[in-house]
Amino acid sequence: MEVKEIYWLKELSKDYNDLVGKKCANLGELVKLGLKVPYGFALSTKAYEHFMTATGLKEAVEKIVGNKRRAGLDTNKDVDGMIEMSGRIRAAIEEAPMPPDLAGPIAECYRMLSEETGGGEVACAVRSSGAVSMPGQMETYLNVKGEQDIIYHVKKVWGSAFTTRAIVFRIDNNMPISWAPIGVAVIMMIEAKAAGVILTLLPNIGDTERAIVEGNFGLGESVVSGEITPDSFVIHKKDMAIESRSIGQKTKMVIYGGTGTTLCEVPEALQGAACVEDREILEIVRIAKQVEDYFGAPQDMEWVVDKRFAFPENIFWVQARGAKFAKKEVGRDEEYVIDLMLQLFRK
Amino acid sequence: MKVYDCVPGLEFDESVDFQVSPCWFHDATHSVPPWTPMFGWFWVNFCRHGMQYGAEKLSLPTVKGWDWRFKDGAGYLALLIVKDPAERRAREERFKVAIKPFTADFAGMWKGFVDEIVGKYEKLKALDLDKASNIELLENFEETINTTRRMWEIHMYMMYGVYTAFVLFEQMTKQLLGIDDTSPQFHKLTSGFDNKSFQVDKELFELAKKAQAMGLKDVLLATPASTMKDTLQSSQKGQEFLKIFDDFMKNEGGWRMERMAEINVPTWLEEPAPAFNVIKMSLEKGVDYNLDEERKKREAERLATEKEVLEKIAPEQRSWFRTILTLAQNCAWFSEEHNHYLDLYAHAMIRRSTMGVGRRLAKEGTIDAPEDVFFLIPDEVRKAGINPGMFNLRTTVARRKADWQGWCANGNPPMIMQEGFAIEDAMKGLVESLDPIALKVVVGTMPVARPELKADLYGVCGSPGVMEGTVKVIWTENELSKIVKGDILVAPTTSPSWTPVFSLLGGVIVDRGASLSHAAIVGREFGIPVVMNVFEGTKLLKDGMKVRLDANMGTVYILDK
Repeated sequence: MEVKEIYWLKELSKDYNDLVGKKCANLGELVKLGLKVPYGFALSTKAYEHFMTATGLKEAVEKIVGNKRRAGLDTNKDVDGMIEMSGRIRAAIEEAPMPPDLAGPIAECYRMLSEETGGGEVACAVRSSGAVSMPGQMETYLNVKGEQDIIYHVKKVWGSAFTTRAIVFRIDNNMPISWAPIGVAVIMMIEAKAAGVILTLLPNIGDTERAIVEGNFGLGESVVSGEITPDSFVIHKKDMAIESRSIGQKTKMVIYGGTGTTLCEVPEALQGAACVEDREILEIVRIAKQVEDYFGAPQDMEWVVDKRFAFPENIFWVQARGAKFAKKEVGRDEEYVIDLMLQLFRK
Repeated sequence: MKVYDCVPGLEFDESVDFQVSPCWFHDATHSVPPWTPMFGWFWVNFCRHGMQYGAEKLSLPTVKGWDWRFKDGAGYLALLIVKDPAERRAREERFKVAIKPFTADFAGMWKGFVDEIVGKYEKLKALDLDKASNIELLENFEETINTTRRMWEIHMYMMYGVYTAFVLFEQMTKQLLGIDDTSPQFHKLTSGFDNKSFQVDKELFELAKKAQAMGLKDVLLATPASTMKDTLQSSQKGQEFLKIFDDFMKNEGGWRMERMAEINVPTWLEEPAPAFNVIKMSLEKGVDYNLDEERKKREAERLATEKEVLEKIAPEQRSWFRTILTLAQNCAWFSEEHNHYLDLYAHAMIRRSTMGVGRRLAKEGTIDAPEDVFFLIPDEVRKAGINPGMFNLRTTVARRKADWQGWCANGNPPMIMQEGFAIEDAMKGLVESLDPIALKVVVGTMPVARPELKADLYGVCGSPGVMEGTVKVIWTENELSKIVKGDILVAPTTSPSWTPVFSLLGGVIVDRGASLSHAAIVGREFGIPVVMNVFEGTKLLKDGMKVRLDANMGTVYILDK
């Protein structure tokens, strides 16, 4: 395992969890399975160290925290003091110039990413990727474009480890205050035509010969959350035949908007139209079958179709995990049947 | 402010009730013609209570039962849907445990309930109402109220449980076998079970056999049902037969209502003419016919179909499918049997106790006639219960009777909707509730017209088969006597007390119905074709028309156009 400051997602695997954070490591795992994930790169905690040392921020932050510590660290009483300390540290991080030997490679990676996604300046999501989940480390910046802005937002993510909440959390849990290394993911924004899930079995009857694909326009959250009736296709895996199709009345979809995602109306003319083409469905099944074969177990996977790319390059994967289904061997028939009854109430 | 009259607290009030639901559905199956105030009070209070009790005991994830309101003699209902996903999940967890008795020992659970409720009926019946003191009579009436409440608790707890299982069965047969409730095979899987309702009907049939053996056939056939008792009294053989007949009626046969959901018509025990008519019909048809053998034929068919079907299912799925099949079969016979032990019997108990009170009030001058008691509500019975002679309730009776006559003349609309709310939204809400009772009873399967079949009516299969015969349009039980062997019964829906004539019928066509409605279940038991959800059968078909019904295709053809 080569320790670097910047990695392409495809170089990663779960071995890199501590270095680049869970989010990035998981995407790397998907790539290893032969799945195409949204293009992007990750900055490791080494990049953070480099930045903090080269800019002198390491000492500066320690000094700010040290002064505060001498004055007494009372997270309950001195709320204003905490806010003030957070503000000073974050401003210092965001204002410090990125060292050229780090800024250069970041800009280079961004240029390559832009080329891969069709040239120009591609819009990216810049987000934190921690090895463990921690309050305050949830920063995500959407629609970031251009080298300068990417670099600025990387610093913003690093600074987010010093939000008031994050600082208070570390003080209360006796963790180091002034040293908070975190991974950063820079990933292209998907322009989602449609998204959804595939299960490589019919979960309610345990039929492993068939797969079910469900999808909606826009991003996948609306399918997973069950807010709308998605399109639903049952595919015979061996024959690669779409055996049944149910087109939902898809009134709403999830899109990127503002600083996150929002629910919006699907144009009326589209509501009753299939959100994916047959060839896209079959391609989704083909890839999911490979993953299933690799693990030897049914899979539950999330896919997105990006409208900027031509088939079959337009299908991206954002999640893969073993499918949860009521396995007959696990319980007695009665328990399985009760589980099936529950499904009736989840339409 | 709304002034409540018949059902305090539960009368429709649009200024607040649209907050519960923007749409209220008319329960046309039970409240047409409009209920008397007394019966409306019992139904709206306790059917409502039972549904919410059942849904809560089972912790149904998506629905908390139905809310009910009384309006102009009609029951109006709305579903109490669980909207919060977190609450649904929490209810799912509890459902997993709560539903277990249905898969573990269904028959044992049901027997426990039957013993409990029949025990309560026996206690009520033990009091001689006309010899009882006023206090005892009032006590009997109060216990009747409690018994009815308990009956509805058992009723709806059971019904929600078995209907959930039945909906699952339908889904699984569709997915695994490609058949749905419009397929003959589907129905064969759930018919041919012995049950109490069937047994009671069989006993009536046995009575006909006895009458024939005693040489009474000609007398019975020649005498109108209304004067049968007097005629039989005049001969020794007749008296002997009457004793057997009366015993049967007192014990079990007589505790049924002509109209299942109302108490202003006599029980069979009070007015046995319908029972004599059934006996006469059996004699006409010929008592060589063996009901038990017929049922066994259904049973053999069922077992053969089970075998056929299980072979089509992958071996590893057979065992749990068997469990679902058993649940659905329980559901089918329960649907038929519960009418006997629950609705019909309990309503006969309400009739008995209320009439006892009515006779007393009339005797003491509180009201004019015993039947006027149906225009009072329990609060007024309590008001006059101990000292009836001190009170005069004639004004109340007169006012409500006039109201009721108005309701009967005007009828009630199928829905009450908030302004701007559309029927489609209302139906959508019904489907989204995933309430198994709403799905199986209110909605049913909608027929698809297939012009290539050139039929006059399109419906769905309630019971398989093809038959030709003469139409008899039946609206009430009184009209059943016009049926002769081989006729095709046409009705809005059928009622449990009509079951005995099914043995005479060639087929049945009903305007509305789902796979668990009375006509479908009984049609399957008797092995006659039933076409349901034709919507306009009673409008289009007239007495005497010759028709062919092909239940397998869900079609009806008028042959003598």
